[in-house]
Amino acid sequence: MASLACRGLRRRPIRSVLVLAGVAVAVFLYCTADAMRSGVERATRSASSETALIVYRQNRFCPFTSQLPQSYERAIARIPGVASVVPVKIVVSNCRASLDVVTFRGVPAKDFATSHAAETSPETMSRWLQRSDSALIGRELAERRKLKPGDRFTAAGVDAYVAGILESETPQDQSSAFVHLSFLQEQAKRGGTGGVVTQFDVRVTDPLKLDEVARAIDKHFANDESPTTTRAETAHVARAATDVIVLVQFAEVLGIAALVAVFALVANAIVLSMRNREMEISVLQTLGFRGMHIGMLVLFEAFLLGSIGGGIGAAFSYGAIALARTAMTMEGVSIAIPPSIAIALTGVAIANVLSLLAGVIPAILASRQTIVMGFRS
Amino acid sequence: MHNPDTIIACHNLEKHYERGGEIVHVLESIDLSLARGGFVALMGPSGSGKTTLLNLFAGIDRPTAGSLMVDGQDLTHLSRSQLAQWRAVSIGYVFQLYHLVPVLTAYENVELPLFLHDMSRSERHLRVSEALDAVGITDRHAHYPRQLSGGQEQRVAIARAIVTRPAILLADEPTGDLDRTAAASIMELLGRLHSEKGQTIVMVTHDPATATHAQRLVQLDKGRLVESSMVRS
Ligand SMILES: Nc1ncnc2c1ncn2[C@@H]1O[C@H](COP(=O)(O)OP(=O)(O)OP(=O)(O)O)[C@@H](O)[C@H]1O
Ligand SMILES: [Mg+2]
Repeated sequence: MASLACRGLRRRPIRSVLVLAGVAVAVFLYCTADAMRSGVERATRSASSETALIVYRQNRFCPFTSQLPQSYERAIARIPGVASVVPVKIVVSNCRASLDVVTFRGVPAKDFATSHAAETSPETMSRWLQRSDSALIGRELAERRKLKPGDRFTAAGVDAYVAGILESETPQDQSSAFVHLSFLQEQAKRGGTGGVVTQFDVRVTDPLKLDEVARAIDKHFANDESPTTTRAETAHVARAATDVIVLVQFAEVLGIAALVAVFALVANAIVLSMRNREMEISVLQTLGFRGMHIGMLVLFEAFLLGSIGGGIGAAFSYGAIALARTAMTMEGVSIAIPPSIAIALTGVAIANVLSLLAGVIPAILASRQTIVMGFRS
Repeated sequence: MHNPDTIIACHNLEKHYERGGEIVHVLESIDLSLARGGFVALMGPSGSGKTTLLNLFAGIDRPTAGSLMVDGQDLTHLSRSQLAQWRAVSIGYVFQLYHLVPVLTAYENVELPLFLHDMSRSERHLRVSEALDAVGITDRHAHYPRQLSGGQEQRVAIARAIVTRPAILLADEPTGDLDRTAAASIMELLGRLHSEKGQTIVMVTHDPATATHAQRLVQLDKGRLVESSMVRS
């Protein structure tokens, strides 16, 4: 029976190939859009355990324009509930939304070496500490730019030496290049802005106090020359990613529309292929095949279209995402798009279910057909 | 009562169709009894109800009234799926236009009805080979229907009909679409199946020459039985 259904697809090879291609494209779209959505969700969903705050210059939305005096560090550290403060200078090669941005993060070298010791080898860390122009780069950035330790690379006018790769779980870190704060300030000076940083990365002692600490920081600098806006890290990412989130939501709608297209495509293909088959179904019934057999045959043919097409589309989507290793970056914030087996499998599963559903009515009609009517058609 | 030598017995068999609010009497009070192991030719003008009667015998259509026993089974009381199961065992059907499944090879077409029987792959292989051999088409087993001539297609169709060793072989104008030579060899084949294997055959035909292969002639006209005669014994 199964082989008869497979053969069924060969009746009209061109039509079957076109339908399979259509299903594959639709599932590809869906899976890719969903991968983007999951990337955004991962970067912006605030966990209840969140302890990270970003202190930014008030009303500034780009690393170029957010300028804060490095001296704020001590004041922030004194605010109750603050566990640690890291001044960070960010230089990006492109401030707009883009898929290939290098984000330099200038960090105080010694503190960083201590706090991130677990994310690279001691040799790499000491090499990084020794050379003032060296960078530790996130895995994703390294793969995207094909960089390995010992390479030199230039971006955003900053010329750095790759000391090693940093293995970090944080999406932000994965597409960043960490350099010595003083080095980056020097590089970016060009007119006496030394001692200026882009933001402060603050950790709080208690996740429940996150908002409280954020308010305290902003209040402290409210009347200062450079007032601040402090947000949870995920909120900071979400704000920077607003435009992208709208785009991703649009892509999601497209993806769902694509799945509706799967349903329509398969339903259409099955209805068409059954139209000329009344006679053949009557023949099968004459041989003794029951309504149940006929219905299964039709359903299986629909299922094949969905699963083969869906499998191809999902595999291509997974492969493309894995190969491209893209991160969407805007305003110095990166959102990685991770390849996901789960998303690919979901895409295939949805295509299977939709194609089965598309086959249900033709299957019922075919199984109810009376033999004599089939022969007279 | 049921006589084991009788394979088809019908009494007062009626078939009506409704067409445009009008009732068409296709078959009227048919009384007939056919012997097991016989070779019967069903004749009559076009539209006289030959195909309809054959379909009733095959259990693919239902009578409007009357009784019908085929191979010891009262067909008037079976459900749709019971009828299908019964057909798989008792009936072999040969169509005028062969009706092979175009995407299956000759071998696979013949194998198809065996999937409804509880059989191992090797048992099926044995049966299919035997049937292909009986119709003399073993060398074409890997061909698709479109690669075969009409006569060869009809041989494959006959192999498909006899592969389950049915009690009755029903054939609706099996040579109606063939040229004279092909028709003659198909008739020779049916004759051989009857004489050598004792296959019960009921065949519809227009052609008096074709009918001479049968033992018994049944004539229909306007849905009524007009004549039933022995050609030879
Ligand atoms: N399902 C149906 N609905 C309505 N009328 C039908 C149906 N089936 C058969 N008929 C009518 O019954 C009559 C007999 O048809 P049948 O096919 O049995 O004739 P036949 O003797 O086989 O003719 P032919 O030699 O042309 O094949 C015809 O008038 C046909 O139109
Ligand atoms: Mg007819």
